[in-house]
Amino acid sequence: MGPYPFGSGTAASGWAAADSGPQCSASEIDGLLAGAGYRVRSSDLLHVAHSLERLESAIGGGPADHLASAEAVRYNPSDLTTWVNSILSELSSSLPPLRPPPAAPVAGTWPDLTCFSLPYPQYQTAVIAATRQREEEEGSAIRLVHLLVTCADAVQRGDSGLAGNIIEEMRVVLTRVNTGFGIGKVAGYFVDALCRRIYSPCSSSSSASVAGSAADQEILYHHFYEVSPYLKFAHFMANQAILEAFDGYDRVHVIDFNLMDGLQWPALIQALALRAGGPPFLRLTGIGPPSPDGRDALREVGLRLAELALSVRVRFAFRGVAASRIDDVRPWMLQVVPGEAVAVNSVLQLHRLLGDPGDDAAAPIDSVLGWIVRIQPKIVTVVEQEADHNRPSFLDRFTEALFYYSTMFDSLEAGGGATQKQQQAVAEVYLQREVCNIVCCEGAARVERHEPLVRWRARLGRAGLRAVHLGSNAFKQASMLLTLFSGEGYCVEEVDGCLTLGWHSRPLISASAWRADADVAPLPDSQLFNPGIAATINSTSISGNDNNNTNNFQSMHHGSGNGNAAANNQQNNATCDGGVIGL
Amino acid sequence: MAGSNEVNANESKMVVPLNTWVLISNFKLAYNMLRRPDGTFDRHLAEFLDRKVPANAFPVNGVISFDLLIDRATNLLARIYRPAPTAPPDSHRPSLHADLQSPPSPDPFPVIIFFHGGSFAHSSSNSAIYDSLCRRFVSLCGAVVISVNYRRSPEHRYPCAYDDGWTALKWASTEPWLHSGKDAKLRVFLSGDSSGGNIAHHVAVRAAESGIEVSGNILLNPMFGGNQRTESENTLDGKYFVTVQDRYWYWKAFLPEGADRDHPACNPFGPNGMKLEELPFTKTLVTVAGLDLTRDWQLAYAEGLEKAGHDVKLVYREQATIGFYFLPNTDHFYEVMEEIKNFVSSNC
Repeated sequence: MGPYPFGSGTAASGWAAADSGPQCSASEIDGLLAGAGYRVRSSDLLHVAHSLERLESAIGGGPADHLASAEAVRYNPSDLTTWVNSILSELSSSLPPLRPPPAAPVAGTWPDLTCFSLPYPQYQTAVIAATRQREEEEGSAIRLVHLLVTCADAVQRGDSGLAGNIIEEMRVVLTRVNTGFGIGKVAGYFVDALCRRIYSPCSSSSSASVAGSAADQEILYHHFYEVSPYLKFAHFMANQAILEAFDGYDRVHVIDFNLMDGLQWPALIQALALRAGGPPFLRLTGIGPPSPDGRDALREVGLRLAELALSVRVRFAFRGVAASRIDDVRPWMLQVVPGEAVAVNSVLQLHRLLGDPGDDAAAPIDSVLGWIVRIQPKIVTVVEQEADHNRPSFLDRFTEALFYYSTMFDSLEAGGGATQKQQQAVAEVYLQREVCNIVCCEGAARVERHEPLVRWRARLGRAGLRAVHLGSNAFKQASMLLTLFSGEGYCVEEVDGCLTLGWHSRPLISASAWRADADVAPLPDSQLFNPGIAATINSTSISGNDNNNTNNFQSMHHGSGNGNAAANNQQNNATCDGGVIGL
Repeated sequence: MAGSNEVNANESKMVVPLNTWVLISNFKLAYNMLRRPDGTFDRHLAEFLDRKVPANAFPVNGVISFDLLIDRATNLLARIYRPAPTAPPDSHRPSLHADLQSPPSPDPFPVIIFFHGGSFAHSSSNSAIYDSLCRRFVSLCGAVVISVNYRRSPEHRYPCAYDDGWTALKWASTEPWLHSGKDAKLRVFLSGDSSGGNIAHHVAVRAAESGIEVSGNILLNPMFGGNQRTESENTLDGKYFVTVQDRYWYWKAFLPEGADRDHPACNPFGPNGMKLEELPFTKTLVTVAGLDLTRDWQLAYAEGLEKAGHDVKLVYREQATIGFYFLPNTDHFYEVMEEIKNFVSSNC
């Protein structure tokens, strides 16, 4: 049929095989069908064609909707060879015998049919075995979920004997499922977490060991950032809101509640560099846990960001604030300067300030929200997990988490190729730690107290913050961002001006932006900043000479009019890192 | 009826390449499973079997794609295809990502609003076969292609698909980046295959009534019908992948309850059709496959346009079957693509 080959070349868009090249080898995948979403070896095409004909004969001319209930119909449709053969196998008893090939081959179209062979019985037994195995696995998975919930219930009632027995049983069931992916894997994590809860209950010290070192946590975070769009979405949305809020300001100050590797900030720095009318003077205050072993992780990040800012000609100053908990931070440590536009950025941090519901008095969230509001930020960007993992009932929390993290793990699995798989494994450890914290820890040790957006709205509203609509442009751009990922199940939704990113219509993370109500009284200057410091920042050029600056900074501290805390106060665990790094 | 099936298979085998035969036969098998005699449709299985591809903002052969929600109220999605954007010469822009919604060139360019086929019930804008076709249109014509994910039957009957098409056209007319040339005009073509061709026609009628100028219609094997039995329906029934009965099923699923196939949606030049003589209806390029059993209805459509005084170019491929435009492996494919390219460039 013409000079056109069956198909060769890349499968990316199908039509790339337009050039009539040499006939592809028989074991190769037909490139044109690949572009249509079907992987069929060229050498199998004839066989598939015959199978299709047989199926058609079996159906006759009438309706075929009864075929839809065949098990094999739900096999991978892209693997057309297996798909068609499996359906045939399932119907094998009702099919007419194989038709003998026609006496004279039809010249000029299809080649000799004598190569046609169908190892029928082998297909049949393989299909039946595969079906049985799948049924067994599905049954085990359902059983696991049932056992998990039953175990959690036993834990809640304090029946650790029963809980222990159920755990043993779950371990047995786990040997019968594939724990490499899907429900088997997630169940494995939850069984481990339950085990830990029963046999080594959480205290503050062990929660630290569960959480691992801060450096480990950064690595895990980085991998999670790489293999999934959640953190990228979060950073992107927050940066958009910050950029818009900073419009028209010459001096801007971003306060990042969890600096980590500073992954969020290169994009903002570059965007500010390209701003119409030129970039503002950008200050970044990064809060993070203190580094052990004499390292100064915060400053290292600050230095890297300063180099980047220098390369794109953005005047930049960095300050690190080392604090184990956000509530150890005091506003004066942030050195807010009058006249600058402030953005407070919290990615997955606010939930750590919550307490048990109903016990709000003890929770630091309100005092932190209080001072956030009173430093009068132009924008507060909040990213949180969209889940209810702070419910008073352990069983409720457990079940919620099981479904949340199943969805989350599912979405990770849908991502890329071999190298991605290694990163994915590390990213999963990141999530596994969250699971452990939710399941194993109580009281102050439990920091993964995720609450849904609707409750954050109420809380932030009570504190005097009003939502800033993220806008349809942000929605559009978020959707575009998602097209860079191969997993097709991600979905962005807009809910009253906030955006959520989810997997298959289950929102998993939310991004929102807020500003302070006009009628909230600002913090008194003495609590907010030291006028002496402000004068210094305004008038002197900030050099990269760290020693000088450190000395200056510490001396300013001691001279501060505010008696609350000096740099090395034992009472609170925050220290202000020296080294204001600038250009 | 094993005997007649044998004849059928042999005939279609002789006119299409093997991989095309496998592709379309597979669709036929799958579609047969999805249609139920009571008029319902197994949508879940349909979505499971449909081979889909994600949008891709990284250029593949110089073309990128992205999905947009163009109407919140109806959740109307469209996939936009365009030539990969080149880096801006000067970059005083605050946006963090390359500007996907910017004109692909400073010169006038065509915008093709495309409606995928599937007899009003099957496929989506992210179906692999249509993703390939739209990408081809971008390269062929230097166009921005908007593939509309219109609502399908039987869940959404007439006129939902037409409404969605109209929404897409209105949306395009309000997007500044789609306007080009010194006169900042939207140089829009309405296009589609099978049911998509039918939708393109009806949207073009609405455009003509509303004063929105359309540069041209490109209809590939458009889906039309009527109460009468035509000759081609009789002689070709079941021979080339399609049966008259399945056509009837799809019309019944799309048209309003109780309507017959002389409804103007199905038969625009039939007894209930609208007179197009007075309307400033656009120029049309229609391709008709000689081995498509609805060939006579398509030829009647072309004739109807002509009789109403409108510009029609008929491209009749005698030995082509349905779906010849899915795989680039026949003369039909390449020659029709060339016709489309010429039609677009001369009317842009």
